[in-house]
Amino acid sequence: MKATRILFAVLVAASGAAFAQAPNDAQIAHIVVTANQVDIDAGKVAETHGQSAEVKAFGKQMVTDHTAVNKQATALVTKLKVKPEDNPTSQSLKSGGDANVKHLKTLKGAAFDKAYVDQEVTYHQQVLDAIDKTLIPNAKNAELKALIEKVRPAIDGHLQHAKQLQAKLGK
Amino acid sequence: MLHIALATIAAAGALCVAASGAAAAAPAKHTVTIADMRYEPAVLTVKKGDSVTFVNKDIFPHTATAAGQFDSRTIEPQRKWTFRAMRAGEFPYICTLHPNMKGTLKVE
Repeated sequence: MKATRILFAVLVAASGAAFAQAPNDAQIAHIVVTANQVDIDAGKVAETHGQSAEVKAFGKQMVTDHTAVNKQATALVTKLKVKPEDNPTSQSLKSGGDANVKHLKTLKGAAFDKAYVDQEVTYHQQVLDAIDKTLIPNAKNAELKALIEKVRPAIDGHLQHAKQLQAKLGK
Repeated sequence: MLHIALATIAAAGALCVAASGAAAAAPAKHTVTIADMRYEPAVLTVKKGDSVTFVNKDIFPHTATAAGQFDSRTIEPQRKWTFRAMRAGEFPYICTLHPNMKGTLKVE
């Protein structure tokens, strides 16, 4: 719960408050890569610590999908010769993600499944908000904006999937 | 000159008849494109015996799975899967990896 709250605060920050000015493309690229990496890290823990087959499979899918996004993002920044620029939002995402992973590793069984899935619902919802309110509106480069727009349905899909799992676990 | 033109039109007409006759007899091929976490078209109607190819143009792996009916298993990005619709009916299907993705195959 604590980790979820930290992550929530981080993502609220990501959706705007952390930036005195709007993030530039180099910062947006860094946020995209970091946000994906945070979910890859959590997914890997779910693959090994998850109790139900469905939670493990979901974690595995998060690793696969977010790795695919980061491959695209890395290819794009290489092509555009943009050097992703570290920034307060990325740093908060990273530290929030690390805290979450640390917290998850202390849990087992059904408690793990619930905590992981609850956090995935919160995380994807907040990433979706950040995409809509900060990342897409501020991305200047058309290809960077297109990439984020292309990723959006996947984040939304993950959110719906996580909500389905949450409803099942709640039964 | 006019004769040649008329003959050409007649020949083209004969070819068209032959082509449409052949199309009616042979099973049709259909394509469902998977991109941006969606099946396109989401609802596809085919005739019994037709083949349906699911082409994954997304950056993520997907499946087309109608429980107890057909299952592509994982279709990696840039890969495809084809099957022949042999049973009539309406088959809702999902991606087992992303269960919010839904499509329907209607076989007449």
